[in-house]
Amino acid sequence: MGEVELSCRAYVKMYLHACLFPRVSINGLLLSSSPAGGAVYVTDCVPLLHSHLSLAPVTQLALTQVDVWCSQTQQRIVGYYQANACASDSSPTPCATRIADKIAEQFENAVLLMLDGSKMSPDYRVPPIVMYERKDSRWILKDKHTIMLRQWEETRDIAGQMLESGDHALLVDFDSHLDDITRDWTNQKLNAKIAELASPANGSI
Amino acid sequence: MASVSEMYDVGWEEMRDKLRKWREDNSRNSEQIVDVGEELINEHSSKLGDDIWIIYEQVMIAALDCSRDDLAHTCLQELRRQFPDSHRVKRLTGMRLEALERYDDANKHYDAILKDDPTNTAARKRKISILKALGKSAEAIRELNEYLEQFVGDQEAWHELSELYINEHDYGKAAFCLEELMMTNPHNHLYCEQYAEVKYTQGGLENLELSRKYFAQALRLNNRNMRALFGFYMSASHIAASPKVSAKVKKDNMKYAAWAATQINKAYRLAGRGTKENKCSVKAVEEMLESMQITMS
Repeated sequence: MGEVELSCRAYVKMYLHACLFPRVSINGLLLSSSPAGGAVYVTDCVPLLHSHLSLAPVTQLALTQVDVWCSQTQQRIVGYYQANACASDSSPTPCATRIADKIAEQFENAVLLMLDGSKMSPDYRVPPIVMYERKDSRWILKDKHTIMLRQWEETRDIAGQMLESGDHALLVDFDSHLDDITRDWTNQKLNAKIAELASPANGSI
Repeated sequence: MASVSEMYDVGWEEMRDKLRKWREDNSRNSEQIVDVGEELINEHSSKLGDDIWIIYEQVMIAALDCSRDDLAHTCLQELRRQFPDSHRVKRLTGMRLEALERYDDANKHYDAILKDDPTNTAARKRKISILKALGKSAEAIRELNEYLEQFVGDQEAWHELSELYINEHDYGKAAFCLEELMMTNPHNHLYCEQYAEVKYTQGGLENLELSRKYFAQALRLNNRNMRALFGFYMSASHIAASPKVSAKVKKDNMKYAAWAATQINKAYRLAGRGTKENKCSVKAVEEMLESMQITMS
């Protein structure tokens, strides 16, 4: 598998999702709008759950809906992310590998990212992410240098800044959408805010 | 930083009442509790009378949640001075040690409480949550089961046990815990819905039928439960699509699914009225319902 690159938007949303629900496990899907083949460029993510990650109905429902939305918007699901409730534990749970397996059926180079809760301080030098790749139908830890975040410092600062100003409260995951369906899991508002903060730092996100 | 009273133009009485409301609702909005509580303690403690003690306790627990050990420590010292022999304060001391990840020391405090008073449920629950924090799920489950043998009426504990089983993918046992909860709370739609989700996850025709019934029951108790509505739709669709069912069962379940699809559409149309914000997810739902109907027919 080649390189994996994360966009500012995808990282910030993952980070804020974990910050919004610090006491429980959370998960979500990684999306890409760039053509298949070559390096995987994760352009966006959809935050899914913050309760009962290992129950099937809501996960199935969310996967179906995100898939439909992706085909409407020329994106594809390229991976899965999860943060465990226990901050010191960043190993993928059986539920994480199962969902990632499902994604890998559709997209060969699927990635599985685990957020490392113990390293999520705002001034951490490298992204607090552990990446797994699929080899011979098993998920194995990938060398940390192959995950790329262009302008990591800026991205990290945007994430920190948004957390500071309470913007994580804007984030809507699929779980919260089901509690109140007027709230939108595509997070347009938050995306706009990230883009606003990111634009002076780097021309495109 | 501006003070809470200036920012929201509220007096100390309102802040005190706010904290009381959060206590009564059992809210875990720790950041807000710390913001309001810290100011109240620092600037108005003399006016609070005996309310101050429970506020110290509330703010202390919230401070632990926000890793504000300085504040937690201040509150704890005040409480210790006032109630030197209290088990309740001793438990708080243990909780602070837990927050500092000194689990062995915390356990010693809880053991001391339990030696004095073996029926102190709060201390026993803390010991179980330490096991959970250490990732020792199997032991936490065993301890919680032992606990429930003595305190069979503790709903919170049954719920916690069901969550632990769900995390361990032990769905049969999780279902048992939820059955226990449904028996004591027949009108709680959330337990019904969760039970249905567990049954759905277990899979197989029999479980799917059961899950559809409990999703329906959850909907009867609260027709705005979207998880239950989607769940009802999905379980009915799956049953209808199964090659093993009779023509009549198939027909019935297609009818159920069609009804649910109409309800889902209706709910989204209502929710979408006047806002543009959720139009993306509405479109996704519409198309999903359409595509699922095609595969069923």
